[in-house]
Amino acid sequence: MSIGKKLTETKKLPRHSLTREDYLEIFKQLFLARYFDIRLIKEKKRGRLRGTLYSSHNQEAVLVGTLYALNPEDWISPIHRDMPAFFLKDLKSGWNNPERKGISIEQIICQVFGKVDAPGRARDNWSHIGSREKKIIHSTSMLAGTIPVAAGVALSEKMRGSDTVVVTYNGEGSTARGDFHEAINYAAVKKLPMITVIENNMWAYGTHVSEVCNTPDVADRAKGFDIPGIVADGQDVFDVYDKMSQLVEYARQGNGPSILECKTYRAYGHGDHDDNRADKYRPSEDVNSGRSRDPLAVCREYLVNENILGKDDANLYMADNKSASQASDEDFPEEVINYLKQGVDFAINSGLPEAEEGGMWVFKE
Amino acid sequence: MSVEQAVKTNYLNALKQAIDEEMAADSEMICIGEDIANLGGAFGVTEGLVDKYGKWRVQDMPIAEECIVGTAVGAALTGRRVMAEMQFIDFISCGFDQIVNNLATFHYRTAGEVPMPVVLRGPAGGYGGGALYHSQMNEGWFCHSPGLKVVCPSTSYDAKGLLKAALRDPNPVIFYEIKELYRRKDLEEELPTTDYIVPLGKATVRRSGEHITLVSYGQNMYHCYQVADMLAKDGYSAEVIDIRTLVPLDEQTIMDSIKKTSRVVVVNEAPRTCGFAGEVLARVCENAFEYLDAPPARCTRLDTPVPWVKPLESFVLPSVEKIYNTCIRTLKY
Ligand SMILES: Cc1ncc(C[n+]2csc(CCOP(=O)(O)OP(=O)(O)O)c2C)c(N)n1
Ligand SMILES: [Mg+2]
Repeated sequence: MSIGKKLTETKKLPRHSLTREDYLEIFKQLFLARYFDIRLIKEKKRGRLRGTLYSSHNQEAVLVGTLYALNPEDWISPIHRDMPAFFLKDLKSGWNNPERKGISIEQIICQVFGKVDAPGRARDNWSHIGSREKKIIHSTSMLAGTIPVAAGVALSEKMRGSDTVVVTYNGEGSTARGDFHEAINYAAVKKLPMITVIENNMWAYGTHVSEVCNTPDVADRAKGFDIPGIVADGQDVFDVYDKMSQLVEYARQGNGPSILECKTYRAYGHGDHDDNRADKYRPSEDVNSGRSRDPLAVCREYLVNENILGKDDANLYMADNKSASQASDEDFPEEVINYLKQGVDFAINSGLPEAEEGGMWVFKE
Repeated sequence: MSVEQAVKTNYLNALKQAIDEEMAADSEMICIGEDIANLGGAFGVTEGLVDKYGKWRVQDMPIAEECIVGTAVGAALTGRRVMAEMQFIDFISCGFDQIVNNLATFHYRTAGEVPMPVVLRGPAGGYGGGALYHSQMNEGWFCHSPGLKVVCPSTSYDAKGLLKAALRDPNPVIFYEIKELYRRKDLEEELPTTDYIVPLGKATVRRSGEHITLVSYGQNMYHCYQVADMLAKDGYSAEVIDIRTLVPLDEQTIMDSIKKTSRVVVVNEAPRTCGFAGEVLARVCENAFEYLDAPPARCTRLDTPVPWVKPLESFVLPSVEKIYNTCIRTLKY
C-alpha cells in the first residue's frame, strides 16, 4: 500500500464520527446498489431494459463508501460501471427528497429503459447522463474523457472560492489514457480539488491489469504527479469511506488532487453480452478469489462485531454471497425493493420521445 | 481642439481587442491556452491580458490539448464563457475527442440543459512555409461534427466583430485565424470606437459583378480579388463572396449571386476530398442547378499535406494563376 507523503496518519478514523443511523444507512445503501443490479437483470429478461448492462455487483462498497464521504454540493462524474452512483449521490438527504443532490430512482429507471423522462430525454444511453443542478458531470463513452472536464469544474469552483470537491470515477484500464494523465497533471499544478477514484476490478474487458499497468498499484501513478495515491480495500465500505474522507478533507483545504484506488473485482462479464466469454478468459481461481469477499458480508461482519447490528438482526436479509440468480426478494430489505418498484412503475408509464426530438438541440438558438 | 490621429488596427490587434473587451464585460469569463499569459501567446494575440485580468482568468496551460478542451468544457458546465487558444490550429487534432465527442454534443445530449459557450481559436493556414504541421486548414473536420460553429475572418473589422459574436454565442465555435494576415499592413483599418459585432452565419459580398461568382474565405479572399482584377481586364466582372461563417452557412447570399451570374468557382486551401468547397458545390447543385450555365467548379489544395519549401508548397495550394484558369474554363464552358 502506498500512501502519499503529504497525508498525515490520524488515530481516530473518519468512520468513528458516524452515527448508528449512518452505519445502518450505509448497509442499506449497499443492498440498494446490489438490488438495482439484480432488478435490472430481471428487467432485461422482460425486455424493458434497453442496451447493455454493465454490472457493479461486488463493487458496491466503492460507490457507497466514496459517495457517503461527500457533501451534497460536491460534483461527481460516474462512468459505465457506476450506474447506482446517480441515485446514491446525496441519498442520505432522504431517498425521496426531491431537493437532494442526486438523480431520482424514477429518472434513472427511465434512463435504462430509454424513456422520455430520463435526464437528457433518452438521447444517449446507459450512464451518459448528468445534471448541472445535481452536480453530476455528463460523461461520453470515451473512457477517462471526463477527467479533464472534472478539472475544468474544479478550476471554476476554486476560482469562485467554494470548497466544493470534484470526484471522477474510472476503471483501472482507463488510467492508461492521455486524458487521465493530462488532467491530473494539470490539477496537480493548480492544486485543484479533484479526486480520481480508480475502481480496480482487475479486468478491463478482456485484459488483466498486469498487462497494462507497470506499477505494483495503479495508485502509484500518483507518484509522477507528486500527489497522494492511496489504496483502499474496495470490498470494505468503511475502509473506502475512511480513505475517501481523508482525501476529501485534503482537497477541501486547498491541498489539491489525489488518487484513491479501490481494489475490487468484477463479478460478471464486462457487460451482460460478455458473461459467457468472461468465464473462459478469466481463470476460475481468479474469479473465486476475486469474489470471495462480498462487500455485503464484510460490512455485516463489521456491524455485528461493533454491536451495531444486534443478534436478532444479524441474519436478516442474507443477499451476501448470492449471485443474481440465487438471490430472491426475501434477501433484501423491503424499503430497497419498494424503492426499485417505485422507479420501475414510473418508468413503465413514461413514454418515448417524439421522433422529431432527434433533430433538436444541436445548437442553442 | 486637437485633431485625433485616426488609429488603424491590424488583424491581430483586432482579435486582441475583442478578447479584452469581452473579458472586461464578463468577470466570469476565462482564457486558457499554452503560453497565453506569461508570454502573451505565440503570436501575441493575448499580450497584456494577464496583467489586466490576472493569472487565473488568463491561464497558461500544460501542453495537453485534450486537457485544455476538457477544462473548457468543465468551466462552461459551471456557467462560464471560455476562450481556449490552440497554439497552432494544427495541434487541435490532439484535442479532437474532447471537441467532437464532448464539446460539440453537450447541448444535444442534455436536451438543451447545458449550453457550451466556448471559443477555440488559433492561427491557421498555409502560404507561409510552415510545412506540414504549421499550415493546416482543418475546418472540414469540425464542419462535419454537428454542434460546432465554424468561423474564419479575412479582415480586421471582421476579426474583431466575429470573435466578439463568437464569444457571446452560447454554442461552441471553432475560430480560424489566418496567421499570414495577423500583421499585414494593407489589412490595417480604422475600427469603430463603439461596441459592435459581426453576426455569425452571414456571408458578405465583397465585390459585385455579373459574369461569375467567386466564393471563398480566409486568405484565399486576397487571391480572389487579384483574379477579379485580371478577369476585369479580360472584360469579365466577378462577384466575390466572403463566406466568413462556414457553419451555419449563409446559403442565401451565395444562391442570390449565382442566380445573377450563373457561374461559380469556390476556392479554399483545404484538401479537395470532403473539403468545404465540395459542400458549397453540393448545395449549389441542390438549390441553383437550373440557374447554372457551367458546371460549378472549385479550386482547392491537392489531396496532399502542405509541404515545406516554396516550390512544393506552391504546387499543392491554390494560387492566383490556378484560380484564374479555373474561372476562365468556367466562363468559356
Ligand atoms: C477511449 C475508449 N476506448 C475504448 C472503449 C471501449 N471500452 C469500453 S469499457 C472498456 C474497458 C474498460 O475497463 P476499465 O477502465 O478497467 O473499467 P471497467 O469496465 O473494468 O469498470 C473498453 C475497452 C471506450 N469506451 N473508450
Ligand atoms: Mg476494470
